[in-house]
Amino acid sequence: MNRRDFLKTTTVLSAAMLMPNYLLSKEVRAANTQRFPTPLEPRMDGDVKEFHLFIDIFQHEVVPGFRFHTLAFNNQIPGPEIRVKQGDKVRVIFKNKTELNHTIHWHGLHVPWRMDGVPYVTQMPVMPGQEFVYEFVAEPYGTHFYHCHWGTLLHMQSGMYGSFIIENDDDPIRKKFPYEREYTLIYSAHDSNFIRNELNAMLERMKERMYLMKTGRFDKKRFAVFNTKEEFVKAVEEGYLPPYVVSRRSRSDLPQPNWFTVNGKSYPMTPNLYIRTGETIRVRLINAGQLEYFLHLHGHDFWLVADDGLPIPQPWQMNTMRLSPGKTADIIIEGKNRGIWTFHDHDTSRVTNNGLYPGGNLLALVYEDLPVEETELNMMAKKMGLTNLPNVALDE
Amino acid sequence: MRLKKQMHLLVLFVMLSVWAGASAQVDPEIQLGARGVVSFNTDILAHKTTTAVNDFSDTGLLTGFRQKLYNKFRGQLVIGFQFPDAESDLGQLFFHQTFILLEDQSNIIKLGRSRVRSAMIEFPTLRDDDALEFTDVLNPFSSGENTEDHQYGNVLEYAHIFNQRVWLRIHGEHFTETPQPPATAETDFSLNAIGFSLQYRVPPTQLWNRPLIQQVGIGFNNFLTDRPGYRSRWDRALKNVTTSFVINLKPDPIHFVDFRAQAIYNVGFEEVKQVTDFFTLTRARALATFASFRYLLRKLERPALQVALSAGYKTFPDLQNKTDQFQLVANLFYRLGDNFDAVAQVQFRQFNGDLRALYGESDTRIQFGFVYSIDQSWNNQFDDRESLLNLEHGYIP
Repeated sequence: MNRRDFLKTTTVLSAAMLMPNYLLSKEVRAANTQRFPTPLEPRMDGDVKEFHLFIDIFQHEVVPGFRFHTLAFNNQIPGPEIRVKQGDKVRVIFKNKTELNHTIHWHGLHVPWRMDGVPYVTQMPVMPGQEFVYEFVAEPYGTHFYHCHWGTLLHMQSGMYGSFIIENDDDPIRKKFPYEREYTLIYSAHDSNFIRNELNAMLERMKERMYLMKTGRFDKKRFAVFNTKEEFVKAVEEGYLPPYVVSRRSRSDLPQPNWFTVNGKSYPMTPNLYIRTGETIRVRLINAGQLEYFLHLHGHDFWLVADDGLPIPQPWQMNTMRLSPGKTADIIIEGKNRGIWTFHDHDTSRVTNNGLYPGGNLLALVYEDLPVEETELNMMAKKMGLTNLPNVALDE
Repeated sequence: MRLKKQMHLLVLFVMLSVWAGASAQVDPEIQLGARGVVSFNTDILAHKTTTAVNDFSDTGLLTGFRQKLYNKFRGQLVIGFQFPDAESDLGQLFFHQTFILLEDQSNIIKLGRSRVRSAMIEFPTLRDDDALEFTDVLNPFSSGENTEDHQYGNVLEYAHIFNQRVWLRIHGEHFTETPQPPATAETDFSLNAIGFSLQYRVPPTQLWNRPLIQQVGIGFNNFLTDRPGYRSRWDRALKNVTTSFVINLKPDPIHFVDFRAQAIYNVGFEEVKQVTDFFTLTRARALATFASFRYLLRKLERPALQVALSAGYKTFPDLQNKTDQFQLVANLFYRLGDNFDAVAQVQFRQFNGDLRALYGESDTRIQFGFVYSIDQSWNNQFDDRESLLNLEHGYIP
């Protein structure tokens, strides 16, 4: 054991002895691993990796004390992470357990066009109770994601998204920046009131439509589905009132998000990124929401190494990056400045929970080798019953 | 098309647009309901015809404010007013709803002025009081001048909901007592009625997958009247029993047909053998039944046309003279645009026996008009008890 390892070990042991609930304790770090997308294990069918996804209505707790009804793949937000090798044959069996329509779009993947998951363009929607089998070869490698493409504005912010990682044994990023640990962070924003109202309205509408479907009465105008643009235009000319004229939805306002999540959780339940001095970690960033984020890391410059999953030939450094809707970006963080550093959206309206700061997509880069002495608080704080930094602060 | 006569909760809009949701958890939810009913009326009474150019009674406004409380409860304040009938003595405006409501998933407490439990269900008539003698338990403390006396009162009500669909209500009311002489103000607001009801009802959001029985109920109203010659509370009280049901004859999303009926049995006082005024009318033993067929055409997932035919019959078995009354109501609502309907209604009433001295032999009313109703809310922060999410996917307080 060299001096560095000795110090590290003794620090952790001291912390564990002095403060069992300390941020660096095994328990806390173990709990933190649960805040990243859960890998979905495939079943091998010959040389095909077969995955099972279902969708159902689910009550999701964003932070303690606040729940709302959501749509969730396999009852998880985000949905489970699908991780395969480039060139793998993939089969995803998708079961719709809701009374709503859905599809799955493989965002960034080069799938056959009939597997792309766009309703009425590449496939019929997967209707209530139905199953659909997606099959494709995993291409290209990199950080991608999947999401529902039916009622996308509602269904995505309701939780229908998950990471899809395609690995490559000759990954140039790993060669350039050798790393052992990597993390996936999926950003989204949710208007819980919009979700509630729209889900209710869609459920009511679908009950009515399924009643008609059972009796074989599909009506193009009622369902607002036409064979061609010309057929639709002609219908309007003949007096048909499209849904955007007759208010057929619950409300006409566009969503105004009031919850901003990373991996489905808002601060203080967001995940932490653990690192050690001298270590390099890879962070896969996915924007599955409809807002643009301006992500800033304190105390470091990081390397932007991939854009939309594609490796950047000449990575460059920055400490604040834009992450637009639908984008993925991979960054490399080098452990060069020991401490606990926040990583958050610099549009600080997103660092809020239901309008109250702090909250939202605030999270921390935590050095595991941080000596516990450096986290000590002053006498006044101890008198207040606080133990060590960082504290969970929800009021300012 | 909101053909329900009872206005839903409505909204003030001033500050609303600003705070659509950002701080929804802490701001109150603001609701606005408005219903405008304006009709041209032609009344034919004993071969004499009179017309009303504008009848805007039942037009009104409701404002509501709701908020999450601690411990899974919600609180609500509702204030509303409406224009009473032209011949009433209630003035230009009548504040028919002013109450506070406290509720959780299965309990509701209501305090204030509100709709009394004088009817189990609503019927598809143009105005709330179009068939009041059949559809509502009549207030025996009223002079009969104002129909609002039978519909609204000072209410203290507790409701418990079992398994989302069975409602037990226990209620006490102060029904309006017409003061003597009538021009003076009412001074005693003590409890003068108590009752309870039990009903099974399917939430409206589950209409399409619950095909037949929509509602079955029984209610009991007990008016704490003074009855000369009787000492016990029970004997002095005027008792009414109400039963009702609503069934979907055709729960089709395009061509919808339902049927509803209600019967009110007024136990009455056996000594009342003649009806000479409203006092004896409400104390004579009587059985009132009312029923409606309703056809609703829905186009593009919105109501487009509604046609309803209703009939009522009321008989007074204890009176010396054979006395009864009969009423037919036929109406049509046609949607002109979102929330806006054109309406036509014909009513025919016939009276026999003692009632002829009070109302004449028969009358006919023909009405044409428009109904505009809205139901809007701002600062939404939680779901309704009977939303599909709360009913079928777990209730969230």
